[in-house]
Amino acid sequence: MKRLWLRPSPALLCLLPGLALVPVLWVVVSGLHSGGLESWVGFLAAALQPSTDPLLLQSLRQGVQVTLATALVGWGLSTLIGLLIGVISSDVVWWSHRLPTWPAACLRRLFALPRAVHELLWGLLLLQVVGLHPWVAVAAITIPYAALVGRVIRDQLDSLDRRPLKALLAGGSSAPAALLTSLGPPLQPVLMSYGGYRLECALRSATLLGVFGLGGIGTELQLTLQSLRFNEFWTGLWLLIGLSVGLEQGLALWRRQQHRRPCAWGGVFGIGVIVLACLAGGHWLNQLLGDSAMPLQWMLPPWPEPGAVQAAAGELPWLTLLQQTLELTLLAAGIAIALPPLCLLLVPGGLAKRLLLAAWTLIRVLPPPLTLLMLLLANVPSLALAALALGLQNAGVMGRLLIEALDQQSQQPLKAIEATGAGARQAWLVGALSPQSRSYLAYGAYRTDVILRETVVVGLVGGTGLGWMLIESLSSFHWAAVLLLIGCFAVLTLVGEAISDALRQRWLRTPEEASTG
Amino acid sequence: MITLLELKKVGLLGRDGARLMDVSIKFHAGQTVALLGPSGAGKSSLLAIANGSITPSSGQVSWRGIPLRKRSKRDRRSIGTLWQDLHLVEEMTVLQNVNCGALGRRSLMWALANLLFPVDSVACRRCLKQAGLPEELMHRPVSALSGGQRQRVALARLFRQQPELVLADEPLSSLDPALVDELLNTLLRQSPSHSADTLPSSTVICLHRPDLIHRFDRVIGLKQGQVVLDAPAADVSQEQLHDLYQRRPVPPPPGSVQ
Repeated sequence: MKRLWLRPSPALLCLLPGLALVPVLWVVVSGLHSGGLESWVGFLAAALQPSTDPLLLQSLRQGVQVTLATALVGWGLSTLIGLLIGVISSDVVWWSHRLPTWPAACLRRLFALPRAVHELLWGLLLLQVVGLHPWVAVAAITIPYAALVGRVIRDQLDSLDRRPLKALLAGGSSAPAALLTSLGPPLQPVLMSYGGYRLECALRSATLLGVFGLGGIGTELQLTLQSLRFNEFWTGLWLLIGLSVGLEQGLALWRRQQHRRPCAWGGVFGIGVIVLACLAGGHWLNQLLGDSAMPLQWMLPPWPEPGAVQAAAGELPWLTLLQQTLELTLLAAGIAIALPPLCLLLVPGGLAKRLLLAAWTLIRVLPPPLTLLMLLLANVPSLALAALALGLQNAGVMGRLLIEALDQQSQQPLKAIEATGAGARQAWLVGALSPQSRSYLAYGAYRTDVILRETVVVGLVGGTGLGWMLIESLSSFHWAAVLLLIGCFAVLTLVGEAISDALRQRWLRTPEEASTG
Repeated sequence: MITLLELKKVGLLGRDGARLMDVSIKFHAGQTVALLGPSGAGKSSLLAIANGSITPSSGQVSWRGIPLRKRSKRDRRSIGTLWQDLHLVEEMTVLQNVNCGALGRRSLMWALANLLFPVDSVACRRCLKQAGLPEELMHRPVSALSGGQRQRVALARLFRQQPELVLADEPLSSLDPALVDELLNTLLRQSPSHSADTLPSSTVICLHRPDLIHRFDRVIGLKQGQVVLDAPAADVSQEQLHDLYQRRPVPPPPGSVQ
């Protein structure tokens, strides 16, 4: 008998992770309870009747401003520090100064640790160390974001063509001048585009930190949802959606202008804008929260004794925790990667695309713990529910990216397939998704890495995984367990990052390179 | 004579004026047509209107007497196009690209299966053979092929579609003389080795080679968006061809909107 030769093409690999939806939906549907149906109807009806209570509006206005100012300062500081980290940890910078490159490799490993810990964990740790202070959220965003930006800058610097740099160095230029002249201009558009993306991420993170009590619109949303005041919740949510959409559109317009009319001084201008954002955001935050001038209440947690660490290592159910975390990651990643192309495959038309874009904006803006709380109105807590909440939010991010990429790519293959008489779905699958599939999968690999970090966010609400145990240990001041769990999380994230890097490189190769291995 | 495709008073407005004006042409079954004209004459626009990729600003296009817009998308499989830039899907293998020609007759599940494992290999092999491409290349990604091989993949995809009418947009522009001859033989059914089941009955080829018109039944000349020549290939004189490529303005047809 002839052997069935399975060779899934990249387009199909974008859809196959959707199999994760089968067990997730099975558990979610089995866990539905009729008692929550009334709450859901009330919740959805409230979307059209948001509260207009002046007191609430005033409180939300304050919350939105705090979130925005926190995001601005966190973004600005992390970009500036990240730029510095990226430069000092890149091989090319050390090489151009005729120095050995091993210090760059050491620095890269050092900065991997702050990157591996999610901003929420940083926030909760700092909360224990300095107490509830308005700048805790800023620091929580700045620490991991700076390391992330640093990594991207370093990757970019090390992947750029070195020939112009070699030519300038050979011509007698000083290393800093040669670096700035030969690598600055090609780095500039990447920095501008990635910098804008990080601002959107910072806004999402600032909202999320608020959900966990660090102030801003997130706190308002959490309180109104937990007390089932749906009309008030929707007022806040609409405000947040308006803010996010405004920011996304503003950044998209700016990116388009940069693309159309690139400015030689764009990099300097960009850094100027970031410095200004830091200063203005900091001043704004101080004005909004008068008590920010209070001195920080430093209270460093005691360093755990070796015996306590050993005992904690024996107590913790490592296998279960690791299994839950990996299950959560894989299920959520499957949903995040496959849901956008699956939806577009089922309804490839123009109007459906716009509706999907609107739906993805909504779920992208909503922090996953709140999505999970909404789902819990009519369901029982489970790992599947946590995976659904996390997967949906990331599907919102992936969906937007996919639609943008599809709009920008050449429409010729699609036109050619349509001309063969293929149906709309077939034509979309082959003529639109296929040409985009490799870069989409590469981004999916990166997103999986992000999801692994984010399991901590839904773990708490869903009562599952390493994240949940870590937050439980933090709340009970079990510092030995906290130390071990952070270490375990960091190792897991770094391994995940290495795997996602390898996958990304594999998918970004040309089909020819991929076929020859 | 059966009329397959008919363009009646077709006009197309572009950003910088009219790209086609009052074009009326009938393409008949069993006929081979050379579409000639200088660059920018509107040849590619005419083919795009004929295969339904773009809608004309005015006039009507009908297939076997029924307006093209009233026909279902699936009916478009009767018209095959060999695009100037080939429009292959780079992410897919030769076999998957060739199978794309059959999408108009198959379901979505078949399209998904085509992305998972080799389907309908026998039919694909036959089309590849017709197009002159060795079957060993069947599982290679198209991006790994040379220009000539890619052209043959596009041709095999066309054969897999089994259209009644083929519209080819400058298929000879990047080929060496030996390949030009081979491709024309295939498209114009002038090679005895070609079986009739996969080859189209009618072919319209848009080209820049007046020296090749003797291979066709009919010649249509386009200039500044208008048909200025439509005659049997045997009756076309050198003067007419010379006039076609002269940079003399053509008076607009009476009553047309400029």
